[in-house]
Formats: sequence, structure tokens, C-alpha cells
Amino acid sequence: MKKRGIGIGSMFYGIGYGFSRQDIGAATVEICEDGSVIVRSGEVDYGQGSDTIFCQIIAEELGVDYAEIKLITADTLTTPNAGPTSASRVTYVTGKAMMKAATEVRETMREVAEEKLGMQDLMFANGQVFSMSHPEKNISFARLAKATHLAGRSVVATAWQDITTKDVDPETGQGDAYSTYAWASQIAVVEVDTETGKIEVLRVVAAHDVGKAINPKNVEAQIEGGVATGLGYALEEQILINKGIVQNTTLSEYMVPTSMDVPVIESHIVEVPALEGPYGAKGVGEPALIPTAPAILNAIANAVGVRVTALPANLENLHRLIREQENNNKDKS
Amino acid sequence: MTETIGKTKLTFTVNGRETEVLVDPSWTLLRVLRESLGLTGTKRGCEEGDCGLCTVIMEDRAVDSCLVMALQAQGKTVETIEGMGHEHALHPLQKAFIEEGAVQCGFCTPGMIMSSEALLRQNTHPTVEEIKVGLSGNLCRCTGYTKIFKAVAKGSESGGRL
Amino acid sequence: MQSFQFYSPNYLEDALKYIADRKQTCRTLAGGTDLIPMLKKEEIRPDYLLNINEVGELKGVEDLDNQVRIGATTTFTEMIESETLNRFFPLLVNAAASVGGPQIRNRGTIGGNVITNGPCADVLPGIVALDGQLELQSKQDGRRLVSVADVLVTAYETSIRSDELLTGILIQKPVQGTKSGFEKLGRRNAMAKARLNLSIALRQDPNGTISAVSIVPGAVMPVAVRMNDVESMLLGRKPTPVLIQAAADKLVEVVVNTAGIRWSSEYKVPVLKNIFKRVMWRVLAEDPQ
Repeated sequence: MKKRGIGIGSMFYGIGYGFSRQDIGAATVEICEDGSVIVRSGEVDYGQGSDTIFCQIIAEELGVDYAEIKLITADTLTTPNAGPTSASRVTYVTGKAMMKAATEVRETMREVAEEKLGMQDLMFANGQVFSMSHPEKNISFARLAKATHLAGRSVVATAWQDITTKDVDPETGQGDAYSTYAWASQIAVVEVDTETGKIEVLRVVAAHDVGKAINPKNVEAQIEGGVATGLGYALEEQILINKGIVQNTTLSEYMVPTSMDVPVIESHIVEVPALEGPYGAKGVGEPALIPTAPAILNAIANAVGVRVTALPANLENLHRLIREQENNNKDKS
Repeated sequence: MTETIGKTKLTFTVNGRETEVLVDPSWTLLRVLRESLGLTGTKRGCEEGDCGLCTVIMEDRAVDSCLVMALQAQGKTVETIEGMGHEHALHPLQKAFIEEGAVQCGFCTPGMIMSSEALLRQNTHPTVEEIKVGLSGNLCRCTGYTKIFKAVAKGSESGGRL
Repeated sequence: MQSFQFYSPNYLEDALKYIADRKQTCRTLAGGTDLIPMLKKEEIRPDYLLNINEVGELKGVEDLDNQVRIGATTTFTEMIESETLNRFFPLLVNAAASVGGPQIRNRGTIGGNVITNGPCADVLPGIVALDGQLELQSKQDGRRLVSVADVLVTAYETSIRSDELLTGILIQKPVQGTKSGFEKLGRRNAMAKARLNLSIALRQDPNGTISAVSIVPGAVMPVAVRMNDVESMLLGRKPTPVLIQAAADKLVEVVVNTAGIRWSSEYKVPVLKNIFKRVMWRVLAEDPQ
């Protein structure tokens, strides 16, 4: 028989390292004479999209075209150390360092522009710097860059963002654990084949507080990827070790979900700003994965009344639990 | 039709171009594409047909190029990601993958695009279920597939049925 | 990979001559989905590799008078797309569709599925259930037909001679009213080996009596084999819950007696029973063609 169930998984997650562990992001922004922008940071993008986010932040702060920014990352010879890509910290920490560095060079350029244009209410947008009250008073970003260079003002800024926390009291556990927290809830709908133990995840809806979605599509993509990984973790993935040697070393033996195992995932972005994040942004990388397995296991419990307490909920494990329950029910009746 | 000893001439059509290359009979199509022809857009993954990274289109069908011996491609038509489009003239699927955010680390992407293209040649209006089947030989660990499904739907004539 | 000589003939005659002269030192390459990984791992080190994919006589599905011939290098995809197979043997079409993913189905062949004789084969049990015959050809003896069940010795081993080539699979067209069912259980929905599969074909009289039945479970026996003891329980009787339950009990009894109790039995025994009952009832409920 096939039985359906619905389950919820919720989580909160401390962004960054927390507990007094040093956590610093860094970036250098340099404006060249022709107005081109070079950004350097040791932060590595391995697919999650931080390079995109960084360019967006710089473009936003300087009012220049996103595509024109030259970003150099993860080159130990030329980039400042920004810490690892881990702990869902990259946007939150190094993103903020990007924002600070860009702000610093912009404010220097603003002073030069104020002198040149004789106006105070300047705005940086669309590659132009102009007075909001008198838009005809303007200068292109490129010309302003040249003027700033000629004025002998610094157009290079390196910013650090330190989110190291104070730690908690070892006795009470109270105190300053993490710099900020991300929150999420996911709902899973599953169908359990009681005769085989096979589980089909029919639907996952995921709502994540990311502070501010700097790139909403990217945030959705992170959520979807996290859910699929969580689904594999819940149902099938398991590293088998015998005497210290991993037994399932191939992709036919260690089975990650295929396109036919993952439902179309529905994501909802919730924005409760973090004080220290760029524009209020937090992280989403790991939070995306955390609630999925609990949501699926709760849905299984809802469908067939058995509680999975050890992962994975694969064919054998789930079938055994269902049979044990049937036997218990028989004993009782 | 001749028996081959040592290096042999392989003549086949790669991305529309008649190509001749000397190969050892023990080489796979994947090796010839990447190492002899420098077409490194086709990725090398598990080498046993479990991941789909090395997917190319041979005679209009998606195949794992790691599971085709080079000389089996003799006289055949092979298409790789390099034949799909380039930076300034993207293939509709490439455009759709970018627009939908269906690329993260990018390692599965060439194979995904080739499987998507092979699917759309057989079925110009795939449903979500048909897209899932069509891509089921290509593993992706980053995206959770959802944006890839959307990109394929967008790249197909049906356009955004998801 | 250790190198070898590669030969890719267009004509069957040339292929047969090639293997006749070389026998064990030669391996035949069909879809390559099993063979190529074995070559890479050097589990096999042939001196000669015979590619049979270019031999026209080995390709495609033919609708003959009262039987269907499936060429040995017909791919799973070609099986799925074959009108003839969809009409006469949906069992084989469903089994072929359950194999791997698109890339594997585009290369893997029905002949390879038979010759490899893996215990987890998806299509082979269906061929056994339909009493398929193998068309074997050799330079020495020409063409001979053998029942598929007769060549499956044990897992990964057949009695087909090393100078023989499997050229096609012949299956009698089903008698009017034959129905069939296939189910595969894998650890995921694609790219998964069968944890279990089951192929059933049967026919009922107008009054519901089971007049013909063939049952072949997969991934539980060393080789695919018809469950004669179970079939004889069902023959000539009308299906009832009691009968189907008894048949299910018998089925797992035969499996356990043949294959023994293994670590997987705790799961597979009850689940095979469940799948058997489910597929049986589904097939029985179907309208005959």
C-alpha cells in the first residue's frame, strides 16, 4: 500500500565560526585611471555564486556596470586572506568587507567630485556621478577616476570585516555565540510504499530567512541544491567503512539522487536583516540542507507511524521498521 | 573493416567537421576528444557510465563517451559542447541555463546540455517528467536539478511549462 | 587499459571467422556498458576485440510470421521505440526502460544483457519468462537455436561457446489474450541496479481460470529461471487471495531453497512476496489485449 505523509523540519544556524574563533573576511578594491575596477579577495567561489554576489555589491556601491568589474579571487600571491568558504559565512563576512572597501574608495572619489561639481548631494549610478537636485551637474565615473588619480588621492582600499564573537560562559552556555543566525523551515510530502520500504519525495517547500537575498535566483539555487543533498542524506547516502577502508567508492555504490529522485523544489525567501551583513544578508549554503532530512523523516512518521532514528531511511531500514510496527500491533491486539 | 594493430586512423565527423586522428584501439572516445583533439569541454568523471559528465551526442543520441571505444566512432557523427555555441553566439539551451541559474560549479553542465539537446531532438515538447527521465543519466550535486528542469523547458519550444 | 587489436566487420561471416580463429583470446564488444569498465580495470585482457555494432544482420526488431526476432545489438532505446515490441511484448519494453539512464539505454544491447548474464539483469528475466530462443551462429556449425534458459549456467556464465556469436533473440508471438507485468525495485529511480525485479506473463480463460503463466524473479536467483513449482500451483485455477498468497509463499520458498539465506534475505524474502502479489493482481485486473 502507498501512504502519504507530510512533515516539517525547522532549524536555526549560526553563521560563521562563532565561539570566539577568529572569523575575518577581506577585500581590496582598486579604481584604475580609466575607471575600471579591480577587486581582490582570497575568498573562493566553488559554484555557490559568491563571485556574482561580490560583483553585485561592488557595482551597487560604486554605481558601475556589474560586467565591468574585474574580480581576482583565491590567488594567494595577490589576494588578501579572507578565510575559507565554509560555515555559510562568505556573503556575510567577505561580502561586507567588499562593501566597506568599495564605500571607502567611493567616499574619497565623492570628495573630489564635490570639489569639481560644487555640489554635495551626489549619487553614484549607471557609471555616472551626479547631483540629485541638479542632475545636469555630473561627471562620468571614468573621468572622476582620472581626476581622483590626478588629485593624488588614494583609490585603493582594503577592508577587513571581523565577526569574531566573544564566546559563551562555559558554566551557563549563555553569551555571544554567533554573530548572526539564519532560520528556515521546510515541508516535505512523501509517499511510502509499505510493501517495499521505498520512499518517493513528492514535494518540498523550503522557506529560508537569508537576511537579504542579494541575488534571489542564486539563493533559490542554493536552497534547491541543499534540499537535494538533504534528500540523499535522508534516504540513501551512506559511507560504508570496513577496517578503515571505504567500501563504496564509486558513484554506482555511493548513490546520490538523480533527476528522477528529486521533486521540483519550491523555495520561499524570507528577509529579516542581519545588522552586520551587507544590506542585511546572512548565509544560506548549509541552512539549505539542514531541515530536509528532519522534514522527510517527519513526513514518513506522518505517513506510516514509524520513527526513523538512524539514517539512511533506505529500503531495508524502513521496511524493517514498518514490519516491527506491524508485529507490535499484532502483539497488542 | 580492417583489423587494426597499434595506432590506427580514426575518421569521423566532430561538430560538423571531418576529423582524422591516430588512435590506439584501447582508447575511449572520451580520451580522443579531450587529449587528441583538445575538446576539454567534455568532462572526465567516473569513467564507468555512472555520472554522465562525459556525455556527447553520437548519431543523434546521448552517449557516455567513456563507454564508447574510439574506433567505434569510425565514420560516425559526434557532437560535443564545443559544437553547441560559443560565448558570443550561445545555443538556446546554453542561454536558458544561464538565465535560469542552472549552473553552479559547472562540472556537470556540458553533459547536461548535451543530454538536454539529445532529449529535445527526440521530443520538442517534453513534460517535466520527460525532462527528468531525459536527464537521469547525468548527476548534479549542486543545483538540486530544479533550475536545470526549468532551463530545459525554457530551451525547448514549449518554453517555460514549469 | 592493455591494448588489443580491434576489428569491426560489416558482415556476419567476417565476424564469425574472426572469433573462430581466436576463441578465448577474443572478446566481443556490443554495447560496451559492462565490457568497457572491465577492460579499464583490466579484469579482462583480451588480445582481440570484435566490435559487432556495424554488422547489419545483428540490428533491429523484425516482425516474422509467428515470432519476433530481436537482433543481438538492438539497444534498449531501440527496444523501447519498437512498435513491434510495444505491441507484442510490453514486458520487454518496460524492462528495457528500467535500465540505467538514457546514455546506458542508448548503448546497452539486449544481446549484451543475455551474454553478461548478471543476476541483476533487467531484460533477461523477461526473455526467460517469454521462453525466448537464442540464435547462435558459428563458422563451424552455422546457425542453431537454443532455449535461453538452457544456456544460463550460473551468474556471469553461459554455455555459449567461444566460437559462437549470439546473433538474435527469437520469441513466439503471444497467444491472443496474453497479459504481462514487470516491476523493478531499485535504490533510486534511475541509474540503479535492480534490488529485485519480477517479470510475469499469463493468460486466463474467459471464465477466469489461469491457462498459462510464466514467472521469473530477478536479482534473487543466481540466474533468471521460471518458477515452475509456482506456475503449476496457479495453472488451471481461478485466482483467489488464498491461491495468490500460497503462490507467493511458494515463490519465496523456491528462492530460499535455491539461493540460500543471505544477508539480504531478511529484506528480499518478504518484499518479493509483496511484489509478486502486487504484480499478479495488477496483471489479473488488466483487460487482455
